Amino acid sequence: MAERPGLFTRWNQARRADGLALRRALPDRLLPLLVAAMTVLAALALAGATGAQILSARWSNGAASMLTIQVPDPDTPTTTAGTTTHLTRSDAVLAALADSPGASRVHRLDKAELGALLAPWLGQDHDFALTLPAIIELHMAAGTQTDATALARRLAAIAPGTLVERNAEWGERLGRLADSLHSCALLAVAIVAGIAVVLIAATTRAGLAARRLPIELIHAMGATDGYIAGRFARRTALLAFIGGLAGSGLALPILVLLSRVAAPFAAATPAPTPASSADWTMLAHTLLATLPTPLVATLLALAPAAALIGWLTTQATVRAWLRNLP
Amino acid sequence: MIRLRDVGFRYDAAGASGASAPVALRQISFEVPQGGFRWLLGPSGAGKSSLLRLLALTARPTSGTLEILGSSVAQARRAALARLRRRIGVVHQDFRLLPDLPVFDNIALPLRLQHRPEDEVRDEVHSILDWVGLASRATARPPQLSGGEQQRVAIARAVIHRPALLLADEPTNALDEYQANRLMELFRDLSGLGTTILVATHNDALIRRYPAHELELAQGRLLRDG
Ligand SMILES: Nc1ncnc2c1ncn2[C@@H]1O[C@H](COP(=O)(O)OP(=O)(O)OP(=O)(O)O)[C@@H](O)[C@H]1O
Ligand SMILES: [Mg+2]
Repeated sequence: MAERPGLFTRWNQARRADGLALRRALPDRLLPLLVAAMTVLAALALAGATGAQILSARWSNGAASMLTIQVPDPDTPTTTAGTTTHLTRSDAVLAALADSPGASRVHRLDKAELGALLAPWLGQDHDFALTLPAIIELHMAAGTQTDATALARRLAAIAPGTLVERNAEWGERLGRLADSLHSCALLAVAIVAGIAVVLIAATTRAGLAARRLPIELIHAMGATDGYIAGRFARRTALLAFIGGLAGSGLALPILVLLSRVAAPFAAATPAPTPASSADWTMLAHTLLATLPTPLVATLLALAPAAALIGWLTTQATVRAWLRNLP
Repeated sequence: MIRLRDVGFRYDAAGASGASAPVALRQISFEVPQGGFRWLLGPSGAGKSSLLRLLALTARPTSGTLEILGSSVAQARRAALARLRRRIGVVHQDFRLLPDLPVFDNIALPLRLQHRPEDEVRDEVHSILDWVGLASRATARPPQLSGGEQQRVAIARAVIHRPALLLADEPTNALDEYQANRLMELFRDLSGLGTTILVATHNDALIRRYPAHELELAQGRLLRDG
């Protein structure tokens, strides 16, 4: 007697031998290839969306709600109506700012922070010969509108020469730009998903037409709609998953490159240089570490998402088609 | 058991045929008790295959009521119809074997659709292959078989799951007399075990050798029930 085949082999034989021959009915090279291409597109669009979101959050919440105030000669005492007071010019401005409505935080940059700010121009550990102006950051509570001109006028009265710089306008514009980029990117993802649905539905319909006779036969023998739809859906889900996996793999290096280019704008931690080691898991790990966490998550979700789209679309397509049989 | 009341059937008008869809069956009423055997007779084009289609639940009556194995077809849901179909065996006039599946897998189809264990499937298929005399052709594909061999595969596939209702459309037209007689013995055994059987045929010699209750159709009408 012949050796008994293993459980898995037997299960497989039974599956394949229902005459549907899905290996031939559904294009096992073209479908993964197209899904891979669409996955790359989706990954790029999602990267755009994530990047735009990060920039938007930063621009509209960080710089946007802050005013920078420069007080020259900060240590000179102020003069009020010709008389010298005991207050320095910077302290007088700070006191005035503390009272201003909507201020959530008033912070004068200390020596170290000033040094860091000027380092690009003057070098590290520079001992300043000149008296530097005091730089004060005025953080506004979210949603408050500040009249920068009025504030500048008020401060100039206390300490002539004080400058008020409003970062908000640019921040808001950039924030709006980032928001619309974000919406466009999501729209692109939705369009790619829509194309995937149409493509998989068309592929499934072609497969159904190609296997019309066996489908009609096993339907007549009592195969349920669920069985037939499930057979097709598992196959397209597998093909879409393979395509999604390949697409995410292709997209990864592109995204790493993009995120390195974008890193200075997002001002996240500087991207680590990939180790020169030939250890590929290390390399992959370093590559993934350069990407923002939400992007890594979406990248990992792409193949399962492709499989899910494939499964759902095929289920719906096959079940609708089977409705034509009695 | 099966029961028909005023069943009418016309092929779908859709397609090239346009509005002049032929009426295949009109006002057919009869009953067959469980384990009953019926010859289905009538000239070519009388509607025998059409009637068997309705009974096999692969077409729905245009009018009238149809009851198969105790279930009313009009009210049954799709899943219930599928369950009913699994209890029906059909030998098609044109065999309808799947050309790219080996004989073994063609015959195994009804058992696999019932998710029977593979060990059981193998034993059942081998014993029926022995019975139809095709044990040596298990791995052949249907196009490599003679007409009579294909018909025996179709018969094996129709009975392997011991259906409660067996519908055979000209099941002997490619068989020799010896094979035809063996088939009639099988029908007799199955009928004794409670399978309801309808056999459409033009084979007068066979009808004479195995006289039984006859349903005679002509131009879509039931002429005789007795
Ligand atoms: N698929 C179809 N579409 C349209 N009309 C059909 C179809 N099949 C059969 N008919 C018509 O229905 C009528 C009954 O045909 P049916 O096949 O039931 O006859 P039959 O009694 O089985 O004949 P035969 O003994 O030649 O097999 C015929 O007029 C035939 O032309
Ligand atoms: Mg016929």
